[in-house]
Amino acid sequence: MSETRFKTVRNLPPDHLLGTGTAMCAGCGGLEALHQIYDILGEKTVFINAAGCMTLLAVYPFTPFRGSWLYTAMASAPAGAQGVRDALDILLERGRMTAAEDLQTVVLTGDGAAYGMGLSATSGAIERGLDFLYICYDNEGYGNTGQQTSGATPHGAGTATNKGALGYPGDKKDLFAIWAAHRPAYVATVIGAEPLDLARKVEQAMQLTGPRLILALAPCPTGWGFDPDATVQLGKLAVETGVWPLKESRGGKTMHTKVPKKRLPVEDYLKCQGRFAHLFVPERKDSVLLEIQAKIDAYWGAVECHGAVDP
Amino acid sequence: MREMLTGNGAAAWGARLAEVEYLPAFPITPQTEIIETIAKWIDFGECNCRIVMLDSEHSMITAAGAAATTGVRTFTATSSQGLLYGMEMLYTVAGWRAPFVLVNVSRGLASPITLEPDHNDILAARDCGFLQLHCATCQEVLDSVLLAFRVAEDPRVRLPVIVNLDGFYLSFTREPVKVPSVQEVAGFLPPFDPQNQGFRAGTPFSQAVAVLGGTAYSYFRYQSHLAARNAEAVFTESAVLFNETFGRSYQAVETYCCDDAEVVFVMMGSFATKAKAAVDQLRAAGQAVGLLRPLLLRPFPAEAVRRALVGKRGVAIVDQNLSPGYGGILHSEFAANLYGCRDVNPVLVSFIGGLGGRDIGPEEFFEMVNITRAAVASGCIPPPRLLYTESELRDMRKWQSIALEHRSGGELQ
Amino acid sequence: MKTASRILGTAFFLEGFEVQDAPRYGAERRGAPISAYVRASHREIKERGIIRDPSLVIVADETLVPMPAAGVFLGLSAQTMLLIHSREAPEVWRDRLNVEGPIRTLSPPGEDRDRLAWRHIGTVCAAAGARLVGVVSREALAASLKQELAGLNAASLEENLDHARWAYDLMEPGQGRVAPGRWLSAEAFPRPEWVDLQYEDARVAAPAIHAAMTSEQVETGLWRTRRPVIDPAHCKRCWWLCSTYCPDSAIRVDESGRPQIDYAHCKGCMVCVAQCPNHAIDMIPERVEPNAAMAGKDS
Repeated sequence: MSETRFKTVRNLPPDHLLGTGTAMCAGCGGLEALHQIYDILGEKTVFINAAGCMTLLAVYPFTPFRGSWLYTAMASAPAGAQGVRDALDILLERGRMTAAEDLQTVVLTGDGAAYGMGLSATSGAIERGLDFLYICYDNEGYGNTGQQTSGATPHGAGTATNKGALGYPGDKKDLFAIWAAHRPAYVATVIGAEPLDLARKVEQAMQLTGPRLILALAPCPTGWGFDPDATVQLGKLAVETGVWPLKESRGGKTMHTKVPKKRLPVEDYLKCQGRFAHLFVPERKDSVLLEIQAKIDAYWGAVECHGAVDP
Repeated sequence: MREMLTGNGAAAWGARLAEVEYLPAFPITPQTEIIETIAKWIDFGECNCRIVMLDSEHSMITAAGAAATTGVRTFTATSSQGLLYGMEMLYTVAGWRAPFVLVNVSRGLASPITLEPDHNDILAARDCGFLQLHCATCQEVLDSVLLAFRVAEDPRVRLPVIVNLDGFYLSFTREPVKVPSVQEVAGFLPPFDPQNQGFRAGTPFSQAVAVLGGTAYSYFRYQSHLAARNAEAVFTESAVLFNETFGRSYQAVETYCCDDAEVVFVMMGSFATKAKAAVDQLRAAGQAVGLLRPLLLRPFPAEAVRRALVGKRGVAIVDQNLSPGYGGILHSEFAANLYGCRDVNPVLVSFIGGLGGRDIGPEEFFEMVNITRAAVASGCIPPPRLLYTESELRDMRKWQSIALEHRSGGELQ
Repeated sequence: MKTASRILGTAFFLEGFEVQDAPRYGAERRGAPISAYVRASHREIKERGIIRDPSLVIVADETLVPMPAAGVFLGLSAQTMLLIHSREAPEVWRDRLNVEGPIRTLSPPGEDRDRLAWRHIGTVCAAAGARLVGVVSREALAASLKQELAGLNAASLEENLDHARWAYDLMEPGQGRVAPGRWLSAEAFPRPEWVDLQYEDARVAAPAIHAAMTSEQVETGLWRTRRPVIDPAHCKRCWWLCSTYCPDSAIRVDESGRPQIDYAHCKGCMVCVAQCPNHAIDMIPERVEPNAAMAGKDS
């Protein structure tokens, strides 16, 4: 990371590559992360998309991209990336395309595909060592269909399919660890509220070949129940409360890139979201709140002990 | 060069001679031999192609469509459950107008799970937008792969094609097959021209984007239909060139002893050669019987079928598939196609046979002619007849008595 | 508007009508314009889908009127009553739109066009519509509101009932002025101009876009109800912050390092307002001209 061209926030790109006029909701944390990522990646990209909110980025005849795009289906975007990458390699090998015409192959999916239906195709692409970047905008539910519970939904959250007093009883799947267990080239978590950390990680990922994951927590005003203007504030709180650890993994070693000096209580993050309102009104669900806090503390306790959490 | 090849071997040779560049693969019986054969050629430097094992047929068809869209000649193969597992992507990549060739080795569908052939798998893919070629011999498998690439890549078509062969009866059956030389094939099948489409830096291309509303959707879907309709003429034109190049003649609809026939069998795939054998015997017995076999099922060669059936009195349609609650799928296609044709109005009699690889005996073909003639004579059309014998039912009873042990081996009532 | 259509639909239903109500929206989850419709009849309703010949069109957001994609004028005829939620008088709208049919406007007094005003917009529109149609009693309207807004707490429900009563009363002069729908005659009808679609090259006949950035032709700025305005006097030209955080890439930085908001596309999320460390971005109601709001602040 010492060679980063992003030494300070002033090094962040002043020009933005992603077109305006998309159908994403106002205040979309996923779009915020995507446009920051795209600024670093540049226009020599082909996005291979799975069914999700961002499928609606390109609706005939409108696209926000300077480069290319291929919508596949919910489960098989990494397989689409495989076909595109292999075909580009074949064309390069056989001299039917110049190196200047080559593209970065980038999978773009939500958490529904990344944590669930697309896992088999993802695991396959990683095991084959496919040279691709996988961007997941994680809004912790099937956002495009109205925020039903997905494999990424956190414990206690209310969703369209968990409306009860205690919310979702399960736990958020650890996609970072699932990826890291495959020993890919690179795995990182990011968030649009921390653009410098994000830029450095995308820069890092671009310098590597092989399977690379950029997992972006995507605060979702629509699905999480908060005002669109709070997207960044909520993102910062996710980091400062330790809910969303910013980290990266290379060569089997995980590093935290931003360790909150003094973690804020997780309540600060939960209480400003409608999806956790049932934990506070009509009465506080202390047992759930304590449980959520305890899990976060345990995570960071391990980080402080070992300097890292083994995936 | 003529050599003994299985249907799977012939499919592999077709791909090799087409100089396919990319093979996304996933194993499934009875198709696996195809990808293993090509993989071996690749490993020993006989084939300049990239093979990649995907995690599923769904992924495999995605990768195939993506590669074809990027601009390389792509081949893949599957069967049965695999075809259905990838069904979402069959529709999807056809909509991308991604030209490539998929070989399907037909096998009955679960449940119950089986390895043996019938056509419910391929007919489930009838409406997905792929063109369909149905092969009757191992030679035809090799030839159809070459024809399929030529038709798929034609600018008047630009659609993926499924070449279908029956499991076991072709896939694992060896027959002498004429394998053309690379030079001969080069004269028939030029290299894939992606016509400046594909993903390249500097040329923005967003493929398969969403649409809102029925106006854009109707247009794009109907364009796929128009492309498929074009494919019939392109196939016929390609078949003429094929005949000139290789000396083997193919038509969208094969007719055998049809010209003066009173009764005609309709069958698809390898069992049609059994019908041909029955036709020979019937002809020897003085009966004017023939066979009609669609090689091309999509696009449906409607006019050719009608022409072939002018003046026929009875048609015995033998469906190796079953649409529960209706009956035979080919029967419905033929009935629809002939409806309202004043000069083509034979009696159509429906037979369901060969499900899950169940054999069809010559005596059954002979009897089907009798039943069809009786229907013609009486004007009474019998309900669909399942080809299933008393001895088969006795076997079933035996097995049921074992499966239902609590009945203490007793006969079922 | 979905709620409005359901309130009106249930009110008709409670009055003994056969009813159809449905929302109609695009792919957007939130923010984009939506419409909804209600059909009511004493007989079985066999029509379905969009209303081609509406008796009453209620426009909750007047900024949608000039937007073709919003389809406000779809099927509008001289018999169609237009009810616009607007401070401006019907005459102003008549001049502006050049339509023949009756126009009414509805503007809650004393309320700013801020988000609070929008909270009851569905209720207000439904209640006004109910009175104009003239066959929905005050009681049926109240019963419908209680049913459709059952998820609200007692105080919110009471607020809605208040707003409904107010709008219902306000429309008293127009009671029953909505003309019933008409059927297209099967004897004299415009023939559909069907075409025979011809095969076209796959390059144009596949759902593919061979161009870049075409989404900039979509004016998502119309989504806004509030407008962020940069105060140049207070902007420290840190430039990376608002511009980087803006989810929609709608803030660009010019050569002099000043951020510029692209109002054609800014959706009004106000992330920039919340994040500007110098509080140099103000939030104003969309209706007020930004120049007026900034008067005296700019140097």
